[in-house]
Order: sequence, then structure tokens, then C-alpha cells
Amino acid sequence: MRIPPVLRLVVRNFASNLDPLTVIIRFGQPAVTIVVLGTMFSSIISSSVTGGSSYTSFLVPGMIAFQMITGGVVSGNLFWLDRRWAMVEQIFSGPFLRSEYLGGLVLTTLLFSLVGVGVMMLVGLPFIGLPSLSLLGVGTVLLTVALGSVFFAGLLIALGTRLRSANAYFTIQSFLQLFVIFLSTVYYPITPRTPKVLAAVFYGNPLTYAADTIRDAFAGTLGGGDLVSLGILALLAAAAFAAAIWGFRAMDLGPIQ
Amino acid sequence: MPSDTMALETRDLGYSYAPGRFAVRHLSLNLRRGEVLGLLGRNGAGKTTTVRLLTTLLPPTEGTATVLGQDLRTGGRDLRARLGVVLQSESLDFVTVEKNLTLYAFLWGVARETAKTRAEEMIELFELEQARRRKPWALSGGERRRFQVARELMHDMEILFLDEPTVGLDAIARRRILRYLRERARGGLSIVFTTHILHEADMLCDRIAVLHTGRLIALDTADALKQKHGGAREVSVTFDSVLAPGLRGELTQALASRGALLLEPEDPDTAATKVAFRASAAEELLPWLSHWAQTHALGFERLAVEEATLEGVFLGMVGGADGEENAPAKVGDPANRTLPPGGVEGLT
Repeated sequence: MRIPPVLRLVVRNFASNLDPLTVIIRFGQPAVTIVVLGTMFSSIISSSVTGGSSYTSFLVPGMIAFQMITGGVVSGNLFWLDRRWAMVEQIFSGPFLRSEYLGGLVLTTLLFSLVGVGVMMLVGLPFIGLPSLSLLGVGTVLLTVALGSVFFAGLLIALGTRLRSANAYFTIQSFLQLFVIFLSTVYYPITPRTPKVLAAVFYGNPLTYAADTIRDAFAGTLGGGDLVSLGILALLAAAAFAAAIWGFRAMDLGPIQ
Repeated sequence: MPSDTMALETRDLGYSYAPGRFAVRHLSLNLRRGEVLGLLGRNGAGKTTTVRLLTTLLPPTEGTATVLGQDLRTGGRDLRARLGVVLQSESLDFVTVEKNLTLYAFLWGVARETAKTRAEEMIELFELEQARRRKPWALSGGERRRFQVARELMHDMEILFLDEPTVGLDAIARRRILRYLRERARGGLSIVFTTHILHEADMLCDRIAVLHTGRLIALDTADALKQKHGGAREVSVTFDSVLAPGLRGELTQALASRGALLLEPEDPDTAATKVAFRASAAEELLPWLSHWAQTHALGFERLAVEEATLEGVFLGMVGGADGEENAPAKVGDPANRTLPPGGVEGLT
């Protein structure tokens, strides 16, 4: 049986670029955050701040939302390294379409993010117990992470098509990652006491919509607001993906430094 | 109408990277099945752009091309599936050499067992046994290049494009690869090969295309190019005493009137006693030269007659195309010779 080109590219992405150490760190960091930060903050943060549950229960959906950045960064970096080491050009000189390569990156992102969701669930289980997720809730969590992953992957790939310096790419990527996480509701909720400016910045961040929607799914309180959040995420994902496609079309295939 | 015996045909193919700025222009050439075509040219002559055009990595901005019977502009994936490309730039995956080979074969849809067998063959052929379990960053420059050629040969193809595949290779490795490529060509594989090592092109290529500033300035066999552009022989004479300026003038004038091209001696210390020239019928000039020397009471301290080399031909052609044809050529270089405007010699 002949494997479709996109899947061959996905296998290659995993086999060639994801060394065990990277994978461990990518999943290990949020897992340690759940265990250490969750445990330590649960003892000092009142449950009234986190909606009546422990801080760990609040943090686990946040870390699940965080997986969309992990997946996006993996694809962005894969693409960057492929460009740096001229593998993009080498692959395009073979029986592949640009859309298949891009599709392969997106699928890699999704798989990585979904595995991350599973890992975070497993790590969180001993602390928060089995969440009462409905089928709709499970679907919402997966869709949210998928859309967010496509957003971040698209954004970083688009960036990767334009930047020619590794230093610039990785600096922007780290900067973006740091601010996107801290200016979202991954670690803390927006309360009436949150400064308005900061709250506005939080709501300009797709990770906030993702974290809040996943929390609602976990709490079984999905509503119209979450549908709006998903819509916003879908729009952002489409825009970022379009930027990546545009970058691909205009990209010089030559090697970069 | 594309011929069945033709692997590739281009007509006025060109690529401009900005309005009016062409990297390649008016490229008309062909490649027969089982033929090895060498692409020669200085840095920036358009060799890599030509390879990228012919492998669909760049869209042509003018002209037409048929590759393996398919239109270059529309062939796309189906066409690329029949090509092999070793790019000039290092392209590597971050796994061991062995894994790289099988992974690349997987990417091309080669069956697992075939891939394993081929990987072993390639490791042996390209002397990568020591490097088999090493990752790309632990390889030497030569190993990386050998690996890159080996990797491309993991899948089937009808035309193989090699953009400077032997850079950084030692003489033994180079010969081994060239011999293997020659064998594959005998088996029907068509090869387009770019190199700066002209001796290699002479060894491997059935025909040679010379590019200069994006244009094809010659296309023929190496022998025909030597004949046309280099003359058959280079003669270097060292007299036993210094040639007076008047005497030198007389000699050079007489040689030039007999169709010889005077060459500039490489070593200024011996210039006073030495005269070098190139002529297609050099042997016929030697008796005359001997007679002339006797008449002027001069003897030969050294007389050397050498075959023209492809490198000399190339330097002469490209130098000529650069407008340096009136400058005296150096000893060891064939004659500078200008081409007819826009003309390509040897193109049939």
C-alpha cells in the first residue's frame, strides 16, 4: 500500500527532527509546572480566586491550552531547520507539493499537540481526579487545541518564510512564547480586580480564549461565549494559515543562515 | 515535438529575478537519454539557476522546456517523481547517515526491503561505513557530500541533476563517484552535471555546455570544444640565448601570419628566452621554427608540445566572452576566441 505523500512527510518530520530530549523537555516542562506550581500554589491561593476548585484544577486546563503553543513551536522550528539545512528545497525537488509539505507540518503540529493534551491529562489526573467531561466537552477541548495549534504553527511558519536569520527567528519565537503565555489566563484568571489594560491585552491573546473554553469544558459549563471563543480562534487560525501559505508562495527556496 | 530519445529539450528558456534582470536567458539545449551533459561556467554564470529551472524549483519566466516528454511548467509532481537532484547546498536531516538514507527512500515511497538493500549498497559504494551511525554534524565535508549523492541514489529516476557533487572530495572518492555515474549513464540514466573541476567534466561528460553570464556560449563534446576553441597543440620554446626585441617581433609576426596564437609566458624570468604559441597544426610549424632558429644562430634549450586542455579551452572562452580576447593568453591557456553575437557553437 502506498502511503500518501502528506503522511510520509509527517513520519519524516517525527523521525528526523524530534529527538527524544526535545520531546521530553517540550512535554516535561508543562508537566512539572502542573506538579510543582500546582501543588505549591494550591496551598496559598484561595479556591475562591480559581472558581471554587484547587489551583491545580485551574492550572491543568491552562496547561492543556498551552499545548497549542508547544505544537505550533515544534512545527515552526521544524520548518526553520528544514530551511536552514536546505531540506525544504530538497523535498520540493521531489514528488511533493508545497501544500503537502505545509499539510505535513500542520498534521505534525496537531499530533504533537494532541499527544501533549493526553500527557497533561495523565499528569493532572492524580491531582484533580477524572474531570466530568461530556463528549461535547472532549470535542471542544480537542477542537480548541487544534485551532490554536494551527494558529501558532501558521504564525511561526509565516515568520520562518520571511526571516533569514536564525538568531532573529529564535529570539522572536522565544519572546512571543513568553509573552503569549504570561499575558493569558493560563496561569491566572481575569478577575474584577485585574487592571483594565491588562485584561484588554489578555483578551487580545488567543491563548486566553483557548484556556477559558477548555476550563468551561472541564467544568461542564460550555455556553455561547465559548462558541464565540471558538469562532475567534478559528478566524485567527485561518488568518495565520493564510499568512503561512502566502509566505510559502513568495518564499525563496534557497538556503538561509 | 519531443523526441523519444531526448530526455530534455529547452528552447530560449530564461529566468529573470527582477524586471530586465536575467539569471539565465535564451537557453536552448538538449539532453539525450543515457547522456551525461556537463554544465560549466564561472560562479554566477547561471548553472545552479539552470538546474533549479529544469527541476521545477524555479518557474521559467520565458521560453519552453520539455523534460521526459512533459512540459516543464505543468509537469509538477509527476515530473519531479522521475528526477533526482543533488543540490549545491548541503541538505541534511538530523539522524544518522544510515537512517537518513532509509528515511529519504521512505519519503520517495521506496519499499522498505529495497531501501535497506540500497542503503547498504550506497554505504559501501560511497565509503560511508565509518560514518553509518554518525549524525550529519559529525561528518567531514567530504563525507557529507558523498552522503548527499548516495542519498539521492536511493530512489529510481530517469534524469539525475548533480550540482557540484564532488566539491570537497578527495581524488579517489571523486573518481569512484564519476565511474559509478558513468556506469549508470550506460544503463540509460541521463545526467546533468555541474562542476568547476574541468578535468572531471572531460572525464565524465558526453557533451559540455558552457554558460557565461546566464547565456549558453557553447555546447559540444569536449574534443570538439578543444578543437574549435583551443587548437590542438600548445608549443613552448625556450631558446639558448635571449631574443633581441627586434628578433622577437619578427618571430611573433611570422608565427601569427602562419595561424598561431601567441601566448604570454607565465614566468617573467624566462620571458626573454621563451616563446609560446598555440596552433591547430603545431607540428607543421616546428620545421619552419627550427629553420628560423638556425638562420638566426639560435638553438633550442627546450621544446615542449602539449595537448590543449578543457580547462584552457574554458578559460579562453570565458575570458573571450568577458572581452579579454585581445589580451595575450597565458601559457597553458588555449586561444581566446569570441563567439558570433548570441551564437552557440556546436548546437545542433
